[in-house]
Amino acid sequence: MSVHLFPGFIGLSAAMFAVGAVGVLLRRNPLVVFMAIELMLNAANLALVTYGRFTHTMDGQVFAIVVITVAASEVVVGLALITGVFRRGRRLDLDDLSELRR
Amino acid sequence: MTALFGVAAGIAFLGALGVVLARRTLYSALSLIVNMMALAVLFLLLDAQFLAAVQVIVYAGAVMVLFVFIIALLSPGAQERLRPLELRVVVGAAAAVLFTVVVVRLTLNGITVTASGHFHGVIGPFAPALVDRHGQVQTLGEQLFTTYLLPFEITSLLLLVAAVGAVHLARSRRPEP
Repeated sequence: MSVHLFPGFIGLSAAMFAVGAVGVLLRRNPLVVFMAIELMLNAANLALVTYGRFTHTMDGQVFAIVVITVAASEVVVGLALITGVFRRGRRLDLDDLSELRR
Repeated sequence: MTALFGVAAGIAFLGALGVVLARRTLYSALSLIVNMMALAVLFLLLDAQFLAAVQVIVYAGAVMVLFVFIIALLSPGAQERLRPLELRVVVGAAAAVLFTVVVVRLTLNGITVTASGHFHGVIGPFAPALVDRHGQVQTLGEQLFTTYLLPFEITSLLLLVAAVGAVHLARSRRPEP
């Protein structure tokens, strides 16, 4: 793996993060917003592993494992919340759900 | 190597676009799976074999199966209306892109790559050749259980809290009288 691909990896990570951030802002389905957040976490993982690989450290990979764990827990709790909202008979639309009370 | 990177990066970016642009939730989920598989290939290119396996098993396997289950349960075929393109939405999207650019610029601080293929920055002790000789997973495991033992234990606590919280939130209650 030669060094000249380093800007490519970082650029791809930045592009994925930006797409995810725009998705969080533009979409109103909470499920899609969650997927956009996953996208941003994945982009961060790619940046961590890239920096770790090119600066010859293991910290990036260790931190990426922690990020994957956090993402998994976040998805589990978030999807439980979404099913709870759905069970109360609310439409799955973030603009309708902007007030937490019924 | 460069060609493989180009193909994987292109697929990853198209998958990312698909997540945000697809009109049906299930198509978003499938795009995200494509994106994660391409990302696993990129991890392999970065000599992170263990992370590539974890990416496929945990993300593309467990997390996305959960997503697809919930989509099938809640909104099969629901077509979502997009948020109207008001000024504040456009400004927000532009701010998100700008934020990304600033963060990338800041993290690149002090790192330069010359045209002759020299990487200038802080260099740690884990050179890829050394890691390969010692074993990639062994090196990662040693780091995880010695230097990073405390974050590892805190992560296990987080998983416990998440599991208990999810069970509590998703438990079916009797309807209130």
